[in-house]
Amino acid sequence: MIPEGLRYHTEHEWIRQENQTAVLGITHFAQDALGDVVYLELPKVGVEVRSGQEIGEVESTKTTSPVYTPVSGKILAVNEELKENPELVNQDPYGKGWIVKIQMSDPSEAKRLMDAREYGAYLKEKAD
Amino acid sequence: MSDSPRITVIGGGPGGYVAAIRAAQLGARVSLVEEREVGGTCLNMGCIPSKALIFNAEVVGLLKRAEEFGVRVISEPAYDVTRMLERKQRIVQTQVRGIHALLKSWGVALIKGRGRLIGPRAVEVTDTGGAVRRLEADRVVLATGSKPIKPTIFPFDGDRVITSEEALEPRVLPKSLLIVGAGVEGCEFGFLYQALGVSVTMVEMKNRPLATEDEEISSLVQREMNKRGIQLHLAVRVEKAAVESTRVAVTLSDGQTVSVDRVLVSIGRSMNTEGLGLEEAGVLLGKRGEILVDDRMETRAPGVYAIGDAVGKIMLAHVASAEGKVAAANAVAEGGSHSMNYDVVPAGIFTQPEIGTVGLKEWESVERGLNVRIGRCPFRALGRIHTMDEIVGVVKIIAEQETDRILGVHILGPHASDMIHEAAIAMRLGAKASDMAEMIHAHPTLPEAMMEAAEDVHGSAIHLPRRKVPPAGGPGPS
Repeated sequence: MIPEGLRYHTEHEWIRQENQTAVLGITHFAQDALGDVVYLELPKVGVEVRSGQEIGEVESTKTTSPVYTPVSGKILAVNEELKENPELVNQDPYGKGWIVKIQMSDPSEAKRLMDAREYGAYLKEKAD
Repeated sequence: MSDSPRITVIGGGPGGYVAAIRAAQLGARVSLVEEREVGGTCLNMGCIPSKALIFNAEVVGLLKRAEEFGVRVISEPAYDVTRMLERKQRIVQTQVRGIHALLKSWGVALIKGRGRLIGPRAVEVTDTGGAVRRLEADRVVLATGSKPIKPTIFPFDGDRVITSEEALEPRVLPKSLLIVGAGVEGCEFGFLYQALGVSVTMVEMKNRPLATEDEEISSLVQREMNKRGIQLHLAVRVEKAAVESTRVAVTLSDGQTVSVDRVLVSIGRSMNTEGLGLEEAGVLLGKRGEILVDDRMETRAPGVYAIGDAVGKIMLAHVASAEGKVAAANAVAEGGSHSMNYDVVPAGIFTQPEIGTVGLKEWESVERGLNVRIGRCPFRALGRIHTMDEIVGVVKIIAEQETDRILGVHILGPHASDMIHEAAIAMRLGAKASDMAEMIHAHPTLPEAMMEAAEDVHGSAIHLPRRKVPPAGGPGPS
């Protein structure tokens, strides 16, 4: 259910580290809580972001919710496909539903995030 | 009849014709002088024609989404601009004829021509043929309106570089349009032209669109622009605009150059006060060129009143009409003490979705150092909006913390301009957020969001999750 090998943020974003690059998306739990995603407000490529910063917004049929980045760096790419097909966030949150790629300025930030087991425990704790 | 006052109104827009009818209702003998057509900018070149075209865009917008509703449209919907403009013109003509009939029924004499004061007690009218006649008047109401500001850096030619007047007559749609100014008019045209399939770029010198509106409304509008692909350049000015054969090259203050088919300059309106004989009659102008009036709408020349855009208080048709009624009442009963109250002025902005607004904005509450509580209800929290599949939007209520009185309400969403009047009457009667919250709202309707937002002022909206941070003064029903 919660993929191994990714890092998880308390605000329900995941990142997949590829060398200095972090691919960021929202978790299955987050997309499920949001409901059908209808639009994503994405940052501009090239913008510098700091960890904990709001970098975009997900709009669903239920609500509008910020997207945070747990790592600092520069936006390398945004998932252009989400403009036409925002439902990819629901259908494939850990794959085709990725949101941005960030060139990390401090990869140690990623290490401080939860792993799959810890995130699973975090969700369980929140549910109780 | 002979002792009833003679009143001459110059300008037949939504200020002037309303003043004329009201004065006639109150027993005056009234002449209304109009150079062009009754209804003024609002009816002929503003509110009504633009809304007619915006409705076309809505119809096509719905047709394009028909499949989502389980409706099959056999061929791709397309615009027939000629018929759209004919329809718009028919709507305007019907309204113009209606005003003619009303004026006639109240015995108002409509005099075609350009009026000017000859001292405070007479008006000279020059018709299009140059014939001049003089109207004696006991009192005069100036309702001369405003016109688009046309800065000299723009080479206006009525074709490539235009104002709102030509933007309402797009015989041929441009492929690309740059709009200078993301105020109310600019934003309305931006959404309209984008919906008509035009690639729209907007340039605004402030750092947000609709910069005088509530900041949350601005950011929602900005997001809707992004969704539709409207390019928005904020905090920049136009340095230069040059017509180059069929295109216009526009240079921005950040160094960028944009090349488009057409440029619409929408940076505000200036008051029509020239050639009216104002100075000679003792009517004074303010710094912005506005006619100075007291709260009874009387100018510095006793017996001469002024209303509407020309007095530059709030440039809205319905404000002009309200001022017209006040001026008429005071003009008929000389020295009457009716006065204008601008505390509660609702307004609609016809973006997509539209906006309804009344009273204090959040940034104003900050500027004034007021303690406020804010309640919100996104429309998507409620069932009715989902049946329409137009889920974007919010009702935001700003209430004074100490008294719970509603100070401002801002709505973005379908029918927001209709819905705002519930908030306006509530404010007019000094209602509290708790009054609004306790009033039963019919289900399933859009105004339920008003009730929920009022409840949310106290953190007790039923259809919203518990707030992470409870409102000041503690959560729960008050």
